[in-house]
Amino acid sequence: MIQLKGVNKYFYQGEPREVHALRDIDLTIEKGEFSVISGTSGCGKTTLLNAIGVLDSISDGEIILDGKEIANLSAEAKTEIRLHEIGFVFQAYNLVPVLTAEENIGLIMRMQGFDDAQISQRVREIATLLQIDDKLDSLPNLLSGGQQQRVAVARAVASKPKIILADEPTANLDSSNSKALMNMMQTLNEKEGVTILFASHDNYVVESVRRIIRLDDGALVT
Amino acid sequence: MFKTILQVAYRNAYLRKSRALLLILMIGLSMGVMVSIEGLYDGMSMNMIDRTKRSDSGEISLYANKYRLEHVIKYRISDADKKVLALQKITGVTEALYRLEVDGLAQTARKSKPSILLGIDLDDEKKFGKFEEFLKEGELDFGKNSAFIGGGLAKKLKVKIGSKVIFTAQDSQNEIKSIALRIRAIIRSSNINFDERALYIPRGEAARFLSVKQNSATQIALRTDETHTPTLQTTLQAKYPKLSVYTFAQLYPQLQQMQTMMDVFNTITFMIVMIVVFIGILGVMYVSILDRIREFGILLSIGYAYRYIRYQIMIEALLLGLAGYFLGLFVGLLILSYLTYQGLDLTLFAEGMEAFGMSSVIYASIKSSYFISTLFAIIIASLLSVVLPLRKIKKLNPVEVIRSAG
Repeated sequence: MIQLKGVNKYFYQGEPREVHALRDIDLTIEKGEFSVISGTSGCGKTTLLNAIGVLDSISDGEIILDGKEIANLSAEAKTEIRLHEIGFVFQAYNLVPVLTAEENIGLIMRMQGFDDAQISQRVREIATLLQIDDKLDSLPNLLSGGQQQRVAVARAVASKPKIILADEPTANLDSSNSKALMNMMQTLNEKEGVTILFASHDNYVVESVRRIIRLDDGALVT
Repeated sequence: MFKTILQVAYRNAYLRKSRALLLILMIGLSMGVMVSIEGLYDGMSMNMIDRTKRSDSGEISLYANKYRLEHVIKYRISDADKKVLALQKITGVTEALYRLEVDGLAQTARKSKPSILLGIDLDDEKKFGKFEEFLKEGELDFGKNSAFIGGGLAKKLKVKIGSKVIFTAQDSQNEIKSIALRIRAIIRSSNINFDERALYIPRGEAARFLSVKQNSATQIALRTDETHTPTLQTTLQAKYPKLSVYTFAQLYPQLQQMQTMMDVFNTITFMIVMIVVFIGILGVMYVSILDRIREFGILLSIGYAYRYIRYQIMIEALLLGLAGYFLGLFVGLLILSYLTYQGLDLTLFAEGMEAFGMSSVIYASIKSSYFISTLFAIIIASLLSVVLPLRKIKKLNPVEVIRSAG
């Protein structure tokens, strides 16, 4: 489903302080996978995740999503890919502070052009699954960290993207909230068939997934 | 999607209530004061123009050819009564009258001043320009050998109600003649030409004094519907080739110039206020955007198109600008309504103002154009004020924002 072929990423290319962040990455992520990119701090996990999510450019190589090369598209086309094909969950939740949980969850669907009824139905469905259906009218600042992260997951998953990229989603959560979040994401993966790819060094995340992709100094460890 | 953008923009615009309120107050109050100044300036110049038209020229005046150059009774309009009757029937003419005027010398036992004797019909003047409103002292009643005098001339000659003035001039036969007149009223029309120089007597008496027919005139003045004035001038000139037809603007170019100057003052005031509005909104929007830079980065990273952010920011600025506008509309209307009905009483400076032909109480005018032009200017200022903040967002790299957020 997602294929990376010979992906390299350099920071400060051609300068004395050049960093080779990703080295000849060849990787395939199949539909329905529940995987993690794992490795020590600074090994390139987030860089790889950002490259897959076309948030960051690559220096050379190809990223193919469902047979279509996406790494070399225009900025506008990449924005469209991120909107329609990919869901993001960030470490710092990053909800829109002036929108309620319900509005935050439905935001991407609204951008995609779904009507109010479709959005409302889907939001309630996901909120029930993630056990935040009683918090839908709350603004983010009235929610706990765990609840905010669940809203962020719900936002990512509501529009049924092809893949969800979650960068250190448990980093700001305590162990019980981390466990609850991972259980819910596992449920989503199983019930909704959503492909989920984490970047994390959290042991609990690493132990929960079905596939571990190890990175060391920007290269895959086989 | 537009509903969501509007919702987000609205909530963000008023998220920092005290900041938004301060900006709205600043826009509203400065706009209120600005339209009040505009109204006062316009009211001042319109009042002067109106009084000049009512006391002298109307919208159009007709003179015998050469009279305006030579200013002698030899060049007079004959059969003025018939002409006035004919003119009153022309479409667009609302009032018409004729006057007889001669230059001469007014004197008392101690002083003498160059002046003019103006033969008028009091009833015609009342209909033409509400002459009764110009009465400053005394009563508007011509008795035998009595006259009204312009306020400025009365002061120069040091005459009061009941004083005697001798007026001397050359009649139509080139004879030097004098007439003794007792002052019955002092007139303040705010038309310097007359206030500083005129003695008013009944038109018939003026004709006898100048040895001309009763229906002779030096000027026929018309009140017209303003929209008809330019075409009327052409029509009348063709109809009366022996007369010279002038519009108010040709007779009083300095007043037209003054109005242009007032317009320039108004434009400058308008621009200063709009710059203040622009800087105010720019400051608030810039700080607000810096506060939310991470939010925009995240939105961009999850697929929120830059154009949506642009719309959102523009709507936020418009909401603040328009809230200020509506407050300004209210404040402006309140001040202008007061100044329109009560006026700004500058009696303390009455002498100075009257010397410039202004009334000591200035009444403002209210024009919808003040509010319409301000509305457009505030919309433009609001939209321009977000250009710089938007450029900052445009340059935003979502990856860096996410990295810093983590």
